[in-house]
Amino acid sequence: MTDPDAGGPASLIELDRREVLVAGAGAAVALTLETGTAQAQASAGAEAAPPGTAMTIRPRINGRAMSVEIDTRTSLLDLLRERLQLTGAKKGCDHGQCGACTVHLDGQRVASCLTLAAKMDGRAVTTIEGLAEGDGLHPMQQAFIDHDALQCGYCTPGQIMAAVACVREGHATDRASIREYMSGNICRCGAYVGIVAAIEAVAQGRQA
Amino acid sequence: MSVEPFPDRPRVDAHEKVRGAAIYAADVALPGLLHAMLVPATIAKGRVTAVPVEAALQVPGVVRVLTATDFPPPVQPAGAGGPPPPPPMITPEIAYRGQPFAIVLAETLEAAIEGAEAIRPDYAPDLAFTPLIDSPGHRREPVEPITAGDAADAMTRAVTRHSAEYVSPAQHHNPIEMLSTTAFWADGVLTVHEGTQSTSGTKGAVGRNLRLEPDQLVVKSPQIGGGFGQKGTPQRQSAIVAHAAMLTGRPVKLVLPRGQIFHNASFRPRSRHRIEIGADATGKMIAVRYDADHQQSRSGQFPPAEYLEAAPQMYGFTDYHGTAANVRIDTQSPGYMRAPHPHPSCFAFESAVDELALMLEQDPVAFRLRHEATIDPIHNRPHSSNHLHSCLREGARRFGWDRRTAAPGSMTLPDGTLVGWGVASGAYPVHIHPNIATLTVRADGTTRFAAAAHEMGQGIRSTIEQVLVRELDIDPTRLELAIGDTSAAAQHTTAGSWGTGSVVPAALEAASRMKAALAELLGDRQVGGNLHRQLARVKRPSLSVEVTRIPYGQGQKELATFQQGGMALAGPFFPAFTTFSFIAHFVEVHVEPRTRRVRVPRVVSVADCGRVVSPRTAASQVRGGVTWAISAALREVTEVDPRYGGWLNNDLADYVVAVNADIGEIDVSFIDEPDPVVNALGVKGLGEVAMVGCAAAVANGIHHATGRRLREMPFRIETLL
Repeated sequence: MTDPDAGGPASLIELDRREVLVAGAGAAVALTLETGTAQAQASAGAEAAPPGTAMTIRPRINGRAMSVEIDTRTSLLDLLRERLQLTGAKKGCDHGQCGACTVHLDGQRVASCLTLAAKMDGRAVTTIEGLAEGDGLHPMQQAFIDHDALQCGYCTPGQIMAAVACVREGHATDRASIREYMSGNICRCGAYVGIVAAIEAVAQGRQA
Repeated sequence: MSVEPFPDRPRVDAHEKVRGAAIYAADVALPGLLHAMLVPATIAKGRVTAVPVEAALQVPGVVRVLTATDFPPPVQPAGAGGPPPPPPMITPEIAYRGQPFAIVLAETLEAAIEGAEAIRPDYAPDLAFTPLIDSPGHRREPVEPITAGDAADAMTRAVTRHSAEYVSPAQHHNPIEMLSTTAFWADGVLTVHEGTQSTSGTKGAVGRNLRLEPDQLVVKSPQIGGGFGQKGTPQRQSAIVAHAAMLTGRPVKLVLPRGQIFHNASFRPRSRHRIEIGADATGKMIAVRYDADHQQSRSGQFPPAEYLEAAPQMYGFTDYHGTAANVRIDTQSPGYMRAPHPHPSCFAFESAVDELALMLEQDPVAFRLRHEATIDPIHNRPHSSNHLHSCLREGARRFGWDRRTAAPGSMTLPDGTLVGWGVASGAYPVHIHPNIATLTVRADGTTRFAAAAHEMGQGIRSTIEQVLVRELDIDPTRLELAIGDTSAAAQHTTAGSWGTGSVVPAALEAASRMKAALAELLGDRQVGGNLHRQLARVKRPSLSVEVTRIPYGQGQKELATFQQGGMALAGPFFPAFTTFSFIAHFVEVHVEPRTRRVRVPRVVSVADCGRVVSPRTAASQVRGGVTWAISAALREVTEVDPRYGGWLNNDLADYVVAVNADIGEIDVSFIDEPDPVVNALGVKGLGEVAMVGCAAAVANGIHHATGRRLREMPFRIETLL
């Protein structure tokens, strides 16, 4: 299986050509490219520094190095959703109880609502938006379509990120193990049968 | 028009959902957004006498705090026959614990949270509140009985009688998408993004609260992250957020923390069901008495009589007496949660039927098959269709029911696990709502269909797509289904399984009219290619048709109600027939001999929902309903703290719902027979009936495994120890 998170923290210290600078409190997001062109994106919030205690972090998010000034209280989930417009990760509880916010941190699944953005300096984060290479689908995404492993779709990004990790961890050995290791992600619509079938198919290499 | 079976196709919006690209209400990005947080009352009843806001305003980033004096006064009830008033915004009077008394607006979410936590109001609490249905101060309010024949007289002729009380607890929906509202005011129009099953209801409630005209308000809810009824009635926060956006002139977003949702959203009320069934000397059910009551708020309107509706439609007895009552206490108003009445009532009634079958020493499947309903005894009209017996027979075959041994505790696994096989049936009323649909096919390859419907994961977009793609040679990849948007089409509340049956006949008729309009346009010209190419060849940019569908038995009055934003439901009791969906569930339970932990490794469900329009999403709907039933039977209850009012277990760690490890194999199939009269496609309804009766099948299975009869959900380890 392809691993978009491969690379690890060591490769993240240097900002690359596609460096992204995000400044201000939910403010205008400036994409500062090394070529000198600056592109302003409309974003939420005022054109001011974060009102709380601020700090700058340099994470690599979906393969892109960036520099972000954050309120030290900000969760990784709120950073992704409210500052970076990466709204695939969802808020379902904000307590680490539902799994809808699951992302990969240095290749491991984490609840981004319980992960402080302040700890992301030099770390690699992959969200559902960065899971597939290019415009295609990751095999797990295709399997979720094929097995109708979703209904409302709200928990789905978290389910898929957890599912990819479940396979990678070696826990997708049989249905009982998949069920156990996918039980941190609640699907209130009740698509569990399809979710297990999708993961089983990917783990057995039956998916494209 | 074709009512042939539909093919298996992928969910139409699955591709965007697996990429995280589907946009839900709280995902909408708006420049200059303010984040909001509500401040909840910590008393159960009384009055907020002072709200000091200075500490909150000193939090860096906090822009403004709004309290009761910043809001217009509550809308007064319209009086008898009028619509219920919209939820009040912010008032000093507190009717339930957790009711918001202030809203904090800030540049960031972190500042809004800190600001809200800095507010310490003064209260004048009313300590004489009533937290539970048996606490002092409750008021019992009976409603009109529902009867057929003479149940009292028939009961005197019964030779075998079973009588018991069954209890369904208070529960909360907990869709994973939390309640949220994002609103902005621009150019004299207020736009509201909200996860709601009723954009029309939100529009009405916000408009009435803020005294806005219909053309000043647009509500959008194109994707809902789970509804289950929680998002079907007006939400408390909608107008509060909208008012804040109008006062500040900036977009405002509020996502309610889950703990606040438990207190401000509706919930499934605790209900009690006292059932007596009498059988004659041949072992046939001849009389049923059913008395139900439920937890109700002081002014709530969630009706108790509907608990009485399903039971008399299932088994052909004609002497029935049903009574019901509200028990008014101090709580927020309860409301519709998946299979609102039939889930608790069929848990109760189908448990009672099982108990009676055992008293008569009859197999529970064979016993049910001895009773066939063809008419609705309450109204003395025929059923439009009723394939419950086919569901039971097919389910028994798929499950392998003939290998069951009757005696409780007689089936075990080698490790001592007790095995129980339970069966139960379910029925759910079929409703149909008017719809006004617009279909536009364009020469540029795009198609747009706009109508009343909301997508909450039930797959309603997939059902519309099935019909349009089968009827019309259009590009399915460029088909826009504009639903859940008051600016696209008049909207209704999409709930109660009436969504699909109310929209796909409109799609079918629109397709038919489109074909006729195109034929008229082309005249004698022979033009090849799909519809887009045909339009391009004759240099016509687009072609539009509009369709108005009014259910059988309705007319212009109901249509006008719908066009003005109201609800105009028809059914299930139509002038010439009564229409219900049916289902049979077969459940295998395993009870661990020492811990008494209950597992449900296997379920077989067979549904009669009329014609199945989208087989793949329909099967998922039923699996979801079964999952809900297992969760309700084994896990879910919201506990009230009687000392303080309010809900104790108000998060997903303490309000336990079924997770992946709780669910085994679920085999789903359909009778897939179109109903001959209810609408043009023969669609009844599915999402609700999917859950109905399955909790009783779990209870009946536990009895078969252990000999223990459990009459109050949920059934937990401590219940069985």
